[in-house]
Amino acid sequence: MHIMEGFLPGPWWQIWFLISAPFVIYGLYQLKMLVRERREALPLLAVAGAFIFVLSSLKLPSVTGSCSHPTGTGLGAILFGPFITSVLALIVLIYQALFLAHGGLTTLGANVFSMGIAGPIIAWLIYRAGMKAGINTFVTVFLAASLADLSTYIVTSMQLALAFPAEVGGFMTSLAAFGTVFAITQVPLAIIEGLVIALVFKYIISARPDLLVRLNVLSESAVDRIRGPAA
Amino acid sequence: MEHILDDYAHTNGLREVDTRLKLLLGCSCILIGILSATPYAPLFIGISLGCAVVLLARIPVGIYLRLLTVPVSFAVTSCIVILLLTGGGGEIWAWSVLGQHLAVTAESADLALLLLARTFGGMSALFFIALTTPAVELFGVMRCLRLPQEFIDLSMLIYRYIFILIGEAIAIRNAQVMRHGYTTFRNSISAFSMLAAMLFLRSWEKGEDLLRTMDARCYDGKLSVIEQGCRPSSRALCAAAVYLGTCIALMILPG
Repeated sequence: MHIMEGFLPGPWWQIWFLISAPFVIYGLYQLKMLVRERREALPLLAVAGAFIFVLSSLKLPSVTGSCSHPTGTGLGAILFGPFITSVLALIVLIYQALFLAHGGLTTLGANVFSMGIAGPIIAWLIYRAGMKAGINTFVTVFLAASLADLSTYIVTSMQLALAFPAEVGGFMTSLAAFGTVFAITQVPLAIIEGLVIALVFKYIISARPDLLVRLNVLSESAVDRIRGPAA
Repeated sequence: MEHILDDYAHTNGLREVDTRLKLLLGCSCILIGILSATPYAPLFIGISLGCAVVLLARIPVGIYLRLLTVPVSFAVTSCIVILLLTGGGGEIWAWSVLGQHLAVTAESADLALLLLARTFGGMSALFFIALTTPAVELFGVMRCLRLPQEFIDLSMLIYRYIFILIGEAIAIRNAQVMRHGYTTFRNSISAFSMLAAMLFLRSWEKGEDLLRTMDARCYDGKLSVIEQGCRPSSRALCAAAVYLGTCIALMILPG
C-alpha cells in the first residue's frame, strides 16, 4: 500500500526519510561488502529486484474485485535478508513511482519504511524463528509473508494517523479509523499473498532446491525432508 | 499488466530538453506543493504541468486522465477519514451513525481540500518527470550526484531486467489463460503462484547468464557508460525560472 505524492505534510515526510536512512545505508554497506566478496552477487540481486518489481505490478486474484497487488518484499526478505531487501525496495519504489504512478518521491521515505523495512524485518524474523522452532516450512512461509503484508498495512495506517491525529481521541482514534478503512482490501490481500508465496516456495523447492540451499534459506537436510514424502 | 510510463517518455515532445532541467523543475514543484499552506500553488502546478504534459510533451489526454485515477482513489478514501476525524472551526454538516457523532467542520474541510490539491499537484509533477524523462537518462544524473557505484549499477541492471521479466510474465500468463488457468478462484491462486515461482526461476537463470556474459566482456565490478552531455538552452532556463517564480509567489501570497 503506497502513500501518494503530496499526501504526507511536513515534518512527517522528512521524519520518515530520516528514520529509513540508517537502514538503507546499512543495506548499501552490506551490498558493497557482498559485491566485493562475491562478484556474482550483483547480477543475481539485479534480477531479484526486477522480480520484486514485476511481482508487485501483477494483479493478484482477489475476492473483493478491488485493485490488489502483492508487495513481494516478504519473499525478498526470506531469500536475501532484510537489509539488502530494503535497498532493493528503495530502487523498486522509485521505479514504481516513475513507471506505474504508485507512491511518490516525498513519500518515498515513509513508503520505504513500511514496505522495505518493517515488512521485510517481520518476515525475516518469523521465518528464522519458525525454522529454528521446527515448524512446517510452508506454514512458516505463509505466516512470514502474510504477517509482513499486514505489518506493512498497519505501519502505513500508523504513518497516516501520526500525521493526521483525530480531534477527539487523537492518534489512537485516527489509527483505528485508517485501519478499518484499509482493512477491507488489505486483510484478504495479506492472506492471499501468504498462500501464493507459500505455493511459490513449494514450486521452487520441487524445481531448483539447490538455489535455496545456496542462498542459505534452507539446509540440505530440510530440503530432503520436504521432498522426501513426494519422491 | 499496467502501462509502463517509460514507453511514453522515449517518444515525448520534450525529450530533447536537458534532463537536469526537467528533474529540477519537477522536484521543485513537488517541494513547493508540499510546503504550500494553501491549495492555490498545488492546484496551479497540477493544472499547468498537466497542460504541459498533454500539449508540449504530446501525451494522449485519455492516458493521462486514466493515470490520475490511481492516486485519486487512494486520496479520496483517506480524505474521507480526515474529513470526519480532524476538527476545529464551525460544523458544516453533522449526523450520527450507530450512536457515533460524525461531523464535518470548516477546518477539516480545508485540510481535506488542501490534501487533495497537494496530491493532485504532486502527482502531476511526478507524472511530468515520469512522462518526459526516460529512466536511462536518470542514471547519468545519479552519477553526477555521486551515489554509490553499486547502487547505480544495480538500478541499471534492474531497469534492464524489468522489461525482460515483464515479457516472460505476459507469455506465461497467456499460456495459462489458454489452458483455463484463471477460471475459478482456486485455479487462479494456483496458476498465479506457478507463474511467480517460474518467473523467479527464469529470472535466476537469466541472472546466471548475465554474469557469464559480463565475464566474457571483462566485467571488473564496474559498468562504464558513455554519456552525451548537453547544456540547457537559455530560453528553457528562463522559462523554467519564470514558472518556478510564479509557483513560489502563489505559495507565499496568502489566499
